[in-house]
Amino acid sequence: MRGRTFGLGAAMLAVVVVATLAIAIAGCGGDENDTGDGGSQEPIKIGAILSLTGTYAGLGEPEKNLIEMEVKKINDAGGINGRPVEVIIEDDATDEAQAVAAASRLIEQENVVAIIGATGTGQTMAIRGDVQRAGIPQVSMAGGTVITNPVDPQVFATPWSNTIVVPFTLDYLKSQGITKIGLITDSGGFGKDGQAVFATEAPKAGAEIVADETFNPGDTDMTAQLTKIKNSDAQAIVMWTAGSEAAIIAKNAQDLGIDLPVYGSHGIARREFIDGAGEAANGVKFAAGKILIPEAYGEDTEAYAVATAFIDEYTQAYGEAPNTFAGHAYDALYLVVEAAKRIEGDITPEALRDELENTAGFVGIGGTFNLSPDDHNGMTQDDLSMYEISGGDWTLAQ
Amino acid sequence: MDQLLQVLVAGLKNGSIYALVALGFTIVYAATGAINFAQGEFFMLGGMLCVSFTELGLPLPAAAVAAIATTAAIGAVFELLAVRPVAGDDPLRIIMVTIGGAVVLRQLALHIFGPDERALAPFTEGASLKALGVAVELQTLWVWGLTAIAVVALALLYRKTSFGRAMRATAIRTDAARLVGVNTGMMVTVAFALAAGLGALAGVAVAPLTQTAFFVGAAIGVKGFAAAILGGIGKPISAVAGGLLLGLLESFAAGYLDPAYKDGVALVVLLVVLFVAPQGLLGRARRVKA
Repeated sequence: MRGRTFGLGAAMLAVVVVATLAIAIAGCGGDENDTGDGGSQEPIKIGAILSLTGTYAGLGEPEKNLIEMEVKKINDAGGINGRPVEVIIEDDATDEAQAVAAASRLIEQENVVAIIGATGTGQTMAIRGDVQRAGIPQVSMAGGTVITNPVDPQVFATPWSNTIVVPFTLDYLKSQGITKIGLITDSGGFGKDGQAVFATEAPKAGAEIVADETFNPGDTDMTAQLTKIKNSDAQAIVMWTAGSEAAIIAKNAQDLGIDLPVYGSHGIARREFIDGAGEAANGVKFAAGKILIPEAYGEDTEAYAVATAFIDEYTQAYGEAPNTFAGHAYDALYLVVEAAKRIEGDITPEALRDELENTAGFVGIGGTFNLSPDDHNGMTQDDLSMYEISGGDWTLAQ
Repeated sequence: MDQLLQVLVAGLKNGSIYALVALGFTIVYAATGAINFAQGEFFMLGGMLCVSFTELGLPLPAAAVAAIATTAAIGAVFELLAVRPVAGDDPLRIIMVTIGGAVVLRQLALHIFGPDERALAPFTEGASLKALGVAVELQTLWVWGLTAIAVVALALLYRKTSFGRAMRATAIRTDAARLVGVNTGMMVTVAFALAAGLGALAGVAVAPLTQTAFFVGAAIGVKGFAAAILGGIGKPISAVAGGLLLGLLESFAAGYLDPAYKDGVALVVLLVVLFVAPQGLLGRARRVKA
């Protein structure tokens, strides 16, 4: 009798699992569709390599949403000089090898004229060889300084790079009378990059790094590192990480009763940081683009109109406000599309690459882009604002 | 002084988390002789399900219980549908199936819960306890308490109940256990359910400290596995000893050496232990299985 009851229960559970599987499979059915909608002429094919699964899925998902939404809009408005745009989206699963496989598929089989991607710095660097061989332009949405410094003729990037955010943050610290910094960075790509930029930029800004702590992605407790910062003569804690560990640092610092101001990187410009750190998020300051509070542009500017349209349309389409990663995808897509529109005659990868470098005064979501052969990121410190988290929301810091 | 104490507290906190996960490895190993590499995913499921249940409106204690029960059920179904038909009772094949199962569970979680980190409220609201310049979050006390309860309950189950003895008998000699009337298949199913439930308990207890996301299982699984091996796999008390030791090692490495070497230090100690005492610190040398 006992065995029979057990069998029945198991059968019911099996049904539940099968149903869940079916829903999940239905959910991922749309992953690799193309978003072009025909048109009489041959479409212009652009490849996109995004992290739709794996660790960076939280970044790749809004990027995909944004691209699908904007491509439809571009095609409804007549495409590029009368030709429709087709963006072929590939998932790299946050994995370098799969990014390379996706790149060669896009290049060899789809003959794309440009690649948007990847989501992460590692995947962006991994496909560089294929991109160079094929001679097509690549516009990355990843934040690593290495992507555009030194400049690779084929590779562009849209996020704010540490080389502009770190000096901006140092200047702000100086304005607050803070010259002794307790730095804590993750040992992954983003934190390491930030640490290196701080090491070179701090002396220039007259600041000193009095404690230089690191942690590993996935760590659950930073009290040991924070106690070391507390026992140094640091005047502020500066944490440079894009992961959920930032929330742990803020909470641990509060628990330890450290009353030093806490500064973060643009990597914490996410709702998840505020949710995770709770009460401890209040008072944390970080620099990021003006998109978080578009009013900072001034309400009669083109940038304000672009930013609010982006937020409104995305929110209407997907039921939630876009994050900064969707913004990086917007900039990457439109840098390519606008450059293609300026080309007279054949849109070849070579012509597109050359035209991307001629981008001047393009008003995007991250800021205003002025690209040149020496600058493949094209933003300046003027595109940044300093924010302070207050009452569980972003406010402009004084 | 306060740095030493804080490093100690941090080590014991991380150590208890590792210990809870290591207990899950111990249970499946005790019943099958195999390592369940999906253990980290049960940890992840516990946290994610609990967050989802609270979002559906359940109060936190009910959501926690529901998350643990659901994960335990998933563990049992996983054993019935994946482990048993494919692997039988061959430990090596069970290991392969659990590695595949971990990938499936992780991708399912991504599609069901979405890709973002989720936060969970602490079990008890309130400021941290402060004494001697050291701060202890209330949630850390919960982790310690739950670890203690789990290890005592498991030790009692294994030593004092015929059910627990039957589980151990299944591990030592499956065919002999079957001969004396033990339902060995069911023992393995229950072991998976129990391990999944314990993993979920750890996931629920840790979520308020660190947030949780669909990808957290892999990293914590490796740590729990290392803790189980360090202590000597197979006994609940060894799992706890291994977990606490691993947590303290990491914490002292982070506090007094370059934190970048933290994971490295733990691995080196693990290697040394395996060289000197391959059965783990508290494990008894095992007879070679026939």
